[in-house]
Order: sequence, then C-alpha cells, then structure tokens
Amino acid sequence: MNGCASGVEGGRRELRGGAFSLGGRVFRLAVAVFLAVLFASGCSALRKKKGVSGEEGAPGQAPGGLVEGSTLDRYKQGLPPEEGGPLQDVHFAYDSYELSEEARDILAANAEWLRNNSAVSVEIEGHCDERGTVEYNLALGAKRARAVKEFLTDAGISPQRLSTISYGEELPLCREPTESCWARNRRAHFVLISK
Amino acid sequence: MGRVCEGGLRLSLALVSGGFGRFGKEKVGVREGGSPGAGRGGSRGVLWAALLFLWAGVLYPSGSSAQIRGTIVGPGLSRYPIAVAPLRASGDEEASVLGESFSRVLGRDLELSGYFRVIDRQAYLEDPATSGITSEQIDFRAWSLIGALGLVKGMAELSGDDLRVEVRFFDVDKQRMLGGKRYRGTREDWRRMAHKFADQIMYYMTGERGPFDSRLVFSSRRGSRFKELYVMSVEGDDLKRLTRDENIALSPSWHPSGYRVLFTSYRQGNPNLFEVSLDGAVGRLSSRRGLNLGGRWSPDGSVIAAALEGGGGTEIVLLDEEGGLRKRLTENSYIDVSPSWSPDGTQLVFCSNRAGSPQLYVMNADGSAVRRLTFSGDYNTSPAWSPKGDLIAYVSRVAGRFQIFVIPASGGTPRKITTEGNNEDPTWSPDGRYLAFSSTRGGGRAIYLSDLSGRVQSRLTPKGGDDSAPAWSAWLE
Repeated sequence: MNGCASGVEGGRRELRGGAFSLGGRVFRLAVAVFLAVLFASGCSALRKKKGVSGEEGAPGQAPGGLVEGSTLDRYKQGLPPEEGGPLQDVHFAYDSYELSEEARDILAANAEWLRNNSAVSVEIEGHCDERGTVEYNLALGAKRARAVKEFLTDAGISPQRLSTISYGEELPLCREPTESCWARNRRAHFVLISK
Repeated sequence: MGRVCEGGLRLSLALVSGGFGRFGKEKVGVREGGSPGAGRGGSRGVLWAALLFLWAGVLYPSGSSAQIRGTIVGPGLSRYPIAVAPLRASGDEEASVLGESFSRVLGRDLELSGYFRVIDRQAYLEDPATSGITSEQIDFRAWSLIGALGLVKGMAELSGDDLRVEVRFFDVDKQRMLGGKRYRGTREDWRRMAHKFADQIMYYMTGERGPFDSRLVFSSRRGSRFKELYVMSVEGDDLKRLTRDENIALSPSWHPSGYRVLFTSYRQGNPNLFEVSLDGAVGRLSSRRGLNLGGRWSPDGSVIAAALEGGGGTEIVLLDEEGGLRKRLTENSYIDVSPSWSPDGTQLVFCSNRAGSPQLYVMNADGSAVRRLTFSGDYNTSPAWSPKGDLIAYVSRVAGRFQIFVIPASGGTPRKITTEGNNEDPTWSPDGRYLAFSSTRGGGRAIYLSDLSGRVQSRLTPKGGDDSAPAWSAWLE
C-alpha cells in the first residue's frame, strides 16, 4: 500500500527522464516499464481517469489508449486518413455539430449495421476543417462525435459499444484550401473495434 | 517645454554620478552587477523619455509630452540609431567569437523592439579589438559621423568556463555613459547576458524593461510530419526541439518559472495533459477520457486552469499541481475552452459558444460573475490576458480571415493588430508591449511578432515549419 500511496501522492509520473537525445525506442521502453510498475503496484492511474464525464473506457481499448486503425494510428504509421468503410462518414456545416437530415439518414443506416454486427464496437472520431482555432476545433470535434454517439444510443445501440475522440483540425482528410475539401474534413468517422 | 529641459538636465547629473557597482548577488545562471543609480530607475526612465522627446522633437515638433513614451519615439515611428560594437575580447579565440555573437544578438533584440535602428557593422570606423570602452577613450566623432546617437561597447573575458561580460551604453552626442552592466556566468550564458542588456537598454530609453530575457515555446512540424514542441529566444537563432513524441503536441504554455511547459499530446492515444521541463523530462498531469486541453498555470503557480470534456460539453476546470480536480468553473452542454488568467489571478477569460457562436467571456476565478466580453463578429477565440492586466488579445474572423485583435479587459472597442494572411494564437511578451502569434502571410505558417500599434511586425521563425501556438514565458529570473 505504501507504493500505492506514493504513486498517487508522490507527484507526477515521469514517463521519460533525461535529455533531448533520448530516442523513440528508449521512450517506448520507458513507457512499458512505467506501465508495468503501475500494474505491479496495483496503483493505477484509473483514479485520475474517472473524469468529469464519469465515462469509463470502451471495450477493445485501454482507457485513453491508441485504437488500432484509427486516424491517429494511421498517422503514426505514415498512412493517410480513411474515409467511409462499412460505416459511412457523416458531415457537418462550418462551426456546427448539428446533425443534418442527410447525416441522420446515414446514421440510421449505421445503427442498422451495428445491430446486425453486435460483436463490433466503434470509436467515433470527430474532425474539423482547418479554419479556426486549434483548441476550439478540438472541442467542436468532440461535440460532433458526441452528437453522433447520442443519435446511435437513441437508436438502441449500447453506449458500451461506442467511444468518442476528437482530432479537431489535426488530422485532415484533404489539404487543399477549398470549400469542397473543407466540407470533407468536417466529419465524424467510424473505426471498427472487434471484440 | 521648460520643464522637460529641466528634467533632462537633472537626468544627466544623475547619470554622471552613477558609475559601476560591484558584482551583484547571484541570479539563476547569470550574475549581474552594478547598474548605475539602481533604485532611482523609475524616475530615470521618465527623464530619459524626456530626453528622447527633445531628440524626437526635432523630427516631430508638434508632438505633445503625453505622447513621449513609445509613441513619438516608438515602434514603427522614428527609430533611435544605435551602434552595437562587438565586445572586445580577452582570453582565447572563442572569446572574440562570443563577443561578436553577443553584439549580433543584442542588435537583433534592439531591432525587434521597434525602438532602434542598429547601424550596419560595416560602417563602424573604430576597431573594437583595440579601442577602449570608457568615455575618455572612445572617439565619439567617429560614431557621430556614421549617424549613431547611441553606442554600445563592452568587453568579454573568458577563462576556462567562466565568462565575464562588461557592457556599456553611451550617448554619442553628449559623449557620456548612460549606464552599464557587468555579468558573470558560464560561457553558455552569453546569450542571456545579451538579452538582459537589451532589456536594460530599453529600460534606459523608455522607463520600462524590455521583454527579451524570456523564451518562446511553440508547436511545429519542422523536420517531420509530426507536431513537436520547440523552444527558442525571441530572436530565434537558438531554436531547440523540446519533445520527441512523434505524435501531436498541442497548446503549450509556461509554468511561471519559465522552466516547464504544459501541453496536450496524443502520445498515449487520448489527448492528455502533460508537462515537460526544459531538460526534456515529461510527466503526465491529466488523462481523463476525452479532451484534456489548454492547461494554463495560475500566475502564482498554485493551480492549473484547463478544459475537460464532460456533461455533454467541454468545461473549464481548475486542477491542482498533481492534476487532481480542484473545482469545476463552468457546467453546461456548450463548448468552454481556452482559459487565460488575469495577471493578479483573480479572473479568467475564456471562449464559449453558449450564445450560438464562439465569443469571449470573463469570470471570477471561482467561476462566478460570468460576463460576455466580445460582441462584434461571430467567431472570437484564443483569448490571452495581458501581463499588464489592461488588455485581452484574441483571434477574430473577419471576412473569412482570422486576425489578431486587442480589447480592453473591462470591455469596449476592439482594435485590430494584423491585416495580412490568417493570424492566430496570440501570446503576450512579459512586458505587455508585444504580441507573438502564428501567421500564414507570405505562404506557410510561421511565428511573428507585433507591437500593439501593429506597425512593426517581424517574422521570428524560418518559413516552412508550419509553426503554431506560440507561448511567451515570463521573464527568466
């Protein structure tokens, strides 16, 4: 219990010590060691994860962990973002998280697909176009993902199968400064997580 | 006018009686010594402004005394011509390289301030290697010939790792020293010594210390497709990478000490809040599911204002220094983001879309007395409260483009600072006289500097880095 107490009280956890010269491999090792230590001590960071929302981690994903096949995962690997898939993207107007009629039709079809594939969970990604402020757009992307999650929950899909994440304007599908490109970037995208 | 003249005379006497003190008490890294007439600073600054007024009066005879400071002789108007001679070196070869670098960085700071025009080195007639640094030894006519009104001369002494710099500021016409400093530190400290003296010269000239003994941190994609944090001096040629996440590092902000940076990163998948110190060590502060965004240390370093997802929206909260939830300041289903502290720590300005579009609001630090600040435009974001407390800088969308504005913190008429390209992420200099921000003018996105009139705008980072989200530290102490 001592270890636990010091873990919680003893300040911020050092994920990576030292200088600029430390490389990614060392860092990953450090993260692994860090996680192992946390696990062994039985003193996880979960206490801090009971966030304002009180929402727990979704299945198929360690809380806050990287989802395989997500736009972030692809970005890490140098792959471009994906559009559509078994579940179609839905799009939004500028500075809006309102679901249009078209978006609702798409989401109704997505809900149907999810009912027929009950072993699959999804992460809903909220994205924005590049125009606007980074922090505001991150919050806007979160609202978009939440609006979609709410629609699907209302349509009878278990919230346990639905997680959300916002990438704001950070991982755009399209990089041209044109309205058609911006329109494609203002979207919610679905990443499938198999159980 | 008579009064101003009298002030000028009194000033001269005060300066003559100054002289160098002994090495002062130890500061962080750099030991600083004797400023002539220390303690009488405030009034001396005012008097100097009076002298400047006399000089400026030649060019702007109709100027009123109310406009003395920073306006008649100020950024974007007439610049005070100054020569910055390389420091005379003693010690090894490196000392003379260092003496050159010192004057280059000092000169760059003075140019960036907008108050000075640094006269080209090629024009200097005196050889710094052989000429002296006292009023009696300096050939002031040689400096007057090339148009200098001010002159900086000094010497650098390097023995082993120990660096001593002595640097002086002269009035060329009066052939008189106006002030000087001695610094002692290690050889790596030369840059900070130059910044400190630039701040000191601005103090002599305007009555207010300059902003250059400080740092900027920002997000950048230079060198890779990933967004990492970089740190540099304002003048920018000591740019250094701070993170190696190979991920997305966002929204950096400084601890009041100037040695630690809060930021949001996706390095663990979720956008979590971290803190990185200047030696590269990273600690995690908040990893609640969803956004952990926009952390800003309170001015006294006791709590962090941040935005967390919850209750259907994004809310402003206070976190303790371990990342624990201290208090929720907003609770609604709307977007509330980007908190920024008033310098006294009693209020916060933030961005909310509660009225249908993003606008700025001010509230007390306990979440009470929320009031709307901006009423013009339908997209106002990224507030930054001036360290002087009187103004709030922010971003507003005008005709489809994003521009930097300032508005009185008590409300009032906004004033536009930028015109070209898209300009975002304003951050204040520690003296409250300048703003740094990102701009897409001229293609690409880089960090720029502007004074509050908007007349002097300089690019601080090389193009091609997709630089964003600058955060200017407090003065380093």
